Amino acid sequence: MSSKLPASPLEPRAQDGAPKKKKILVPKVENGHETMVEIEVDDVAGPEWGPREKLRLLNHEFVRVDAVDKVTGRARYTHDVRLAGMLYAKFVACPLPHAEVRVDLSAAKQVPGVVEARVVRDGEIRFVGQPVAVVAAKTREAAEDGARAIKLDLKPLPFAVTREQSLAANAPEVNRRGNASKPDERGDAAEVTAAFARCAAAIEATYSVPVQHHACLETHGAVVDVPSNDAATVYHSTQATFASAGEFKGPLKVSDVEVINEHMGGGFGSKFEAGVEGRVASELARDLKVPIHLMLSRKDEFLAAGNRSGCTATVKLGGTQDGKLVALSASVDRFGGLGGGSHAGLPYIYSVETSHRSMRSVYTHLDGNRAMRAPGHPQASFAMESALDELAYALGVDLVEIRKRNVGDVHAKQLERAAREIGWAEHPHKSKPDLSDAVVKVGIGFGLSQWGGGGHPECRVTVDIAPDGGVRATVGSQDLGTGVRTYVAAIVAEELGLPLGGVTARIGRTSYGPANASGGSVTTASLAPAVKHAAFNAKRSLLEALAKTLASAPDELVLDTQGVYDARSKRRLSWKDACATLPPAGISAVGEWQANLASNGVHGAQAAKVRVDTRTGEIQVVKMVCVQDCGLPLNRTGVRSQIFGGMIQALSYALFEERVIEPDLGLALNANFEDYKLAASREIPEMVAILDDDDTRGVIGMAEATIVPGHSAIANAIHNACGVRLRSMPLTCDKLLLGLAALKKG
Amino acid sequence: MENKSHGGVDLSRRGFLKSAGGLAAGGALGQGATAAASAGLLGDGVERASGEVEIELTLNGTKRKVKVEPRTTLLSVLRHRVEPALTGTKEVCDMGSCGACTVHVDSKPAYACLLLAIDCQGKAITTIEGLAQGDTLHPVQQAFCEHDALMCGFCTPGFVMALSACLDAKPNATLDELKEACAGNVCRCGTYPHVFQAAVAAQRAKQAGGAR
Ligand code: FES
Ligand code: FES
Repeated sequence: MSSKLPASPLEPRAQDGAPKKKKILVPKVENGHETMVEIEVDDVAGPEWGPREKLRLLNHEFVRVDAVDKVTGRARYTHDVRLAGMLYAKFVACPLPHAEVRVDLSAAKQVPGVVEARVVRDGEIRFVGQPVAVVAAKTREAAEDGARAIKLDLKPLPFAVTREQSLAANAPEVNRRGNASKPDERGDAAEVTAAFARCAAAIEATYSVPVQHHACLETHGAVVDVPSNDAATVYHSTQATFASAGEFKGPLKVSDVEVINEHMGGGFGSKFEAGVEGRVASELARDLKVPIHLMLSRKDEFLAAGNRSGCTATVKLGGTQDGKLVALSASVDRFGGLGGGSHAGLPYIYSVETSHRSMRSVYTHLDGNRAMRAPGHPQASFAMESALDELAYALGVDLVEIRKRNVGDVHAKQLERAAREIGWAEHPHKSKPDLSDAVVKVGIGFGLSQWGGGGHPECRVTVDIAPDGGVRATVGSQDLGTGVRTYVAAIVAEELGLPLGGVTARIGRTSYGPANASGGSVTTASLAPAVKHAAFNAKRSLLEALAKTLASAPDELVLDTQGVYDARSKRRLSWKDACATLPPAGISAVGEWQANLASNGVHGAQAAKVRVDTRTGEIQVVKMVCVQDCGLPLNRTGVRSQIFGGMIQALSYALFEERVIEPDLGLALNANFEDYKLAASREIPEMVAILDDDDTRGVIGMAEATIVPGHSAIANAIHNACGVRLRSMPLTCDKLLLGLAALKKG
Repeated sequence: MENKSHGGVDLSRRGFLKSAGGLAAGGALGQGATAAASAGLLGDGVERASGEVEIELTLNGTKRKVKVEPRTTLLSVLRHRVEPALTGTKEVCDMGSCGACTVHVDSKPAYACLLLAIDCQGKAITTIEGLAQGDTLHPVQQAFCEHDALMCGFCTPGFVMALSACLDAKPNATLDELKEACAGNVCRCGTYPHVFQAAVAAQRAKQAGGAR
């Protein structure tokens, strides 16, 4: 990462002519994982967001600029790209978790319509779903025929697809350095043992979460055009448009790649790399000299395009009589298949006087995990919030109070608000579950979240003002569905006094200027300040040009929604008339990241109310509440959409989602949307998203925070309802009925 | 997930387990096991059901000639076989479990991935591209914009088609019926609360004598 930002010529300089520098901490995200790094930036007065009450568009609700394209089917996604002469490519995947594979292409090559069949990878294959061959054909149907005609000679090898299989004494080798990684230890075990002696109560339990899928509706893939003159164009469904361009250069053997990514159907952390699909599509386009459309099938997507790792966590937690957390010891196993898995660590966001934890990866013959919206955090949340809840009941401390006692002020305040909204004060059984004979029972549970969401200097935004009054904001950034295109236009419109429709935003192309990869909720805090800076510079240039034309001074000119007012001549010009005075080339200004416009670190509190039917075991979430801060909300409707989205993904994770692997055969049993259930319209509760307006900081990303605690709150609410503590997700009716039966037996 | 109407794109689950079962029993899956043969549909060579024929479909009010095979789905026609392609209808699961490919067939909602193109002859097919009348959006489209009932937008055409069919047929649908109307649609971004708001708003707009 570059550590210096060039100073804008319009900004004041320090005495010696060079801009003053200051050091700031910014988050850097690699593959969805966030670390803080120190960088140096110019210490100059730049643009400000200004007082919130003066904002006209930002911090208000407005319609996305690309909404009409999306409701009319005009929005073009990578899947939708159609190039003349394009061939459809399709993978053939290994059906076994571990095998020696030989591929016979001869029959496939004879299939009418098939133009090419190739081996993607043979020899030792290490997970179900790994692509081993590819066909390219004139139609989708012919590609399917070709794929079916490919013969795989499979020699099964011993495999391990579960924790037990992987750790067994005679387990096949999954990882050369051992099937379990060396545990990473934090804290002093002896101190913790001593601290437990001081606790009024302690609980100990094991919590587990399954592997979850990203389930982006648009699968991974690319459409690659034929390279010529050392350059190529690639349409790619990616969260990292700029990194992607670099990845395609190698297989295309060109030095210049334009990546186009106008709209994309979700990413959630799984789309940072060109992947085998990008490489193979490039090689085919290069060799066959025709454009190639290679998008994964839904099944390929489930088996080989990433997942959120599962884990088990054994936690012992103790506290004082009034609920202060004193001691925690935990051991965590992460399950990321061939990957290491991710886990945010324990005691997660709570402060515990003394803690010790040990964490390791257990490797299996399954595809590696990838970053997924708040990687490792929902897993940590489930164990910590559940254990904390169990301790609260053991101590007889209120569920809201015990949380407030062990977090900071912002969380405490947000929790109170969430408790109010869910109806905690009126709830009839707070300190004990409802153990009556009632058939239908209602319970409430809570959970907290936090995330970084700060920005960093990677974006370069251009704002152009044309003599006809047209304004264009241009930057290469992708939009995963968060509303990037819309706030790019809105920020510029706000600065120039224009209606939202007065600015055209162009995004999603490398030639539009660099932007960050979208991971770790860093996009808004990285991009919005650069957009603001570009608009600010464009406004300055416009006023300087006008001052000359009007024989006035820039300081005497005021730009607002009515156009330009010249205090010197007491004359007013409409926006159009003001722009008409510009030279034919108009004005072009560039903006870069401004530290003062972004901040870092968001908090959230969530509550869930559930209804359980003790006869059928049915669990219904009836209400969810989220109180969330995010600095300056750019589009309040869009922020609410994102909050709901995170909460719903957590609800879906809580109740339904689980990758099911048959342990004896090592096969994935639910690699489709019929058997891998996602929450849909019948499961959506009453939902309340409250933006914490006490937060007066600059912009911060909050998408990841919103997915962190919902499933934990739901599990806690189930216990509060009926006394069954479900410690293993998903929280299904069979587990609940078994729990109820065990309760009855006593 | 079982054999698909258009000829078994994937291994059927039964065939898949059958071949893998041999593995568990220590049988030889190795020699001769092919991705195709285990589905039991094809011999060692490759058979196709038949060739292409030209049919006529009425797409968004326009008669279009298109070459299809008996197994070609309506979804495949829309996305891959007409020129220019009608890519607003999305392919997400290709097996009837996500609703992304919802279109109207004679004003009723239908999953284009589950319909054979040849069965759609003589029927009026409306896709998301044909829902608006000129520049006037259908009230459901309009409400989706105003209530931010979309994020990435990949599921959006399917939701809009499902809800517009419901409201056109049943102007007084209850909220529960509206939820039922899109119960087969999946949105991974989680737009549901805004989708419901939009559906209710569209209903009001229609009742107030909106666009139509
Ligand atoms: S693509 Fe037709 S229902 Fe999913
Ligand atoms: S808006 Fe992205 S899947 Fe629905």
